[in-house]
Amino acid sequence: MAARRITRRAFVQTVATGAAAGPFVWTPARAQGFTWKRFSGKELFLLLTKHPFIDVLEKNIPEFESLSGMKVKWETLPEIQARQKMTVEMTANSGGIDAFFTSLHVEKKRFWKAGWYHPLNKFLADASLTSPDFDWNDFTPGARAGVTQPDGSVSALAAFVDANVFFYRKDLFGPKGLTPPKMLGDLEPLVKKLHAPPGTYGIVLRGLKNANATQYPSILFPMGGTYLKDGKAALDTREQAAALDMYAGLLRQYGPPGVVNFNWYECSASFMQGQVAIYMDGVNFASQFEDAAKSKVVGKVGYAVLPSGPGGHFSPIYITGMAVNAQSRNHEAAYLFAQWATSKTNMVRELMAGVGVGRTSTWDSPEVKAKPKMPADWYQAYQASLKIGRQGLPEIVGVTEYRDIIGVAIQKGIEGAPAAQVLAQAQKDFQDLLNRTES
Amino acid sequence: MLLVAVIIVYPIVYTGWMSLHEWFASSLTRPRFVGLANYGKILLGDARFREAVARTVWFTVVAVAAETLLGVAMALLFNREFWGRGLLRTLAILPMVATPTAIALVFVMMYHPTLGVANYLVSLVGLSPFRWTYSSQTALYALALVDVWQWTPLIMLIALAGLASLPREPYEAAHLDGASPRQAFWHITLPLLRPTLVVAILFRAIDALKTFDIIFVMTQGGPANATETINLLLFNQAFSYFNMGYASSMAVALFALVMGASLLLIRVRRSTTW
Repeated sequence: MAARRITRRAFVQTVATGAAAGPFVWTPARAQGFTWKRFSGKELFLLLTKHPFIDVLEKNIPEFESLSGMKVKWETLPEIQARQKMTVEMTANSGGIDAFFTSLHVEKKRFWKAGWYHPLNKFLADASLTSPDFDWNDFTPGARAGVTQPDGSVSALAAFVDANVFFYRKDLFGPKGLTPPKMLGDLEPLVKKLHAPPGTYGIVLRGLKNANATQYPSILFPMGGTYLKDGKAALDTREQAAALDMYAGLLRQYGPPGVVNFNWYECSASFMQGQVAIYMDGVNFASQFEDAAKSKVVGKVGYAVLPSGPGGHFSPIYITGMAVNAQSRNHEAAYLFAQWATSKTNMVRELMAGVGVGRTSTWDSPEVKAKPKMPADWYQAYQASLKIGRQGLPEIVGVTEYRDIIGVAIQKGIEGAPAAQVLAQAQKDFQDLLNRTES
Repeated sequence: MLLVAVIIVYPIVYTGWMSLHEWFASSLTRPRFVGLANYGKILLGDARFREAVARTVWFTVVAVAAETLLGVAMALLFNREFWGRGLLRTLAILPMVATPTAIALVFVMMYHPTLGVANYLVSLVGLSPFRWTYSSQTALYALALVDVWQWTPLIMLIALAGLASLPREPYEAAHLDGASPRQAFWHITLPLLRPTLVVAILFRAIDALKTFDIIFVMTQGGPANATETINLLLFNQAFSYFNMGYASSMAVALFALVMGASLLLIRVRRSTTW
């Protein structure tokens, strides 16, 4: 244990000296010093998560092996199990995992506080470690913010970026001459016009607690609400009450029966069965809508950016990234892998497969434009949403517990409880959570 | 002995020890000793836990009561001789063999308010559709129904075994005395069956108190917290919030509850005289 700590410190010093020397040798010649083969012969172990991004990535890992001369082994687990494994490995300080796929919207602050992310700032600034065409600034501002901690350290390289968008049925909108709402205030009148049960319900959003917390900001942010004000819980504000009233009210009046316990699965099922006119959720569900084997609404779905509101125009985004494990003995080699996984080449492949990424250049790449997998308005809505992206969940340690707190408040709201009352309870629980975990 | 110590005693003792600490598993800070503070919070401070206890008990009572009634009725039926009895009896115990998680997933689809088959069946009998697990008023009962569907056969099996071992003489005597079949059931069958039934109920009650899989798969404790039993809350505390110490104290409380229920039922059985 002691021996390992010394090595790690020595290692960090080396890196620090390298970075300090950086400015003096920052020449094209030095930049050419970058080579993928630098750690040839090493072996890496990755902990990956079952995810569309990883499905595409896994197929190309042999390419990285021949590029770098390294041997890569990996394990892919469902997200929850991966997180549990990570917790066990890290608590035991085993150092067996070199790089891991991280859901930043859940793990960012917790893993950072625990010291599990190896900060990547120095690597990114080191031209001998970062490929000349990696281009950090090619990532959208939202994606960069999503992987950066309050102290400025970069915890991961952004991989998959999910954004909330507005799905609607063109075949129902068209005949009535309706268009997607520009402003939040236009939403309810629009939903009302389309609501014709039992054939068609006006709108569906996630009702199930915890799951609903990622969709709630689609209304909360434009309403002007935030999660925290000066580090304190801000769930009892006027904006929160207005947002919860709207979210719960829409579902209570115009949602399909039982929507209070709908997760994304039930939501997208009822949308794909043609029972619902409007659905707001993560942009990546769209690939199912356009799959004739699963969906009755293929070709009938329109995609648009979420409506704007008095508080501004936002799209809640959720980011996953490739991180280097602080306990790994191969930080630099693991960084090479993370860099390759989020390189331009790989991101184009992801987007070709319909998996959204936070790299600006990929969206304009000729390959993607030549063979679009999704309708044009999907690409437009996605790209526009990334530009107005804002982290969808509070960046705190107890994200999951927060999601349950607000989730229960929303469900009670859907079942008819007054917003002010349920939010008062949520505010108390949330502040209690912050007191316990953020100090 | 050593094996028992390692795999049974150690985890129990360690859980008890952890329950006296405040420990967030993913932070690298050491667990902090807080004495009985977790228990204080459970007993006095935490309304969510108290509701979960009440819910757990209510779920158990509803489910086990229904299972006992149906199970005994089915046992009486299958105790008679009729054509096809063997086949029907085998079919009747099939639900028990299935994996709860798989069943839960099937029921999720059946319960879907607009797409599910449950509401279609209900409409055939002329009733208006239910919300099943999709409303906080009905969710707990909808879950209990799944439990009843799966575990009634267990009670039936045990009751059937009990019936088979009953002596014939009391029935012959009663018959001679002119007792009706109904009187024979109430005054002979039921009292003689009681010890067997207590065992069956005990098994089921312990199991129902710690039901986890079907609830986790079907509602995750929702809507709101309407189906959050102790086990669900405990799971959330431990594996979603990483509150290991607090979760341990809940585990100990659940253990105490199950233990208490068992002792009570065993006492009922002992007090039976015949």
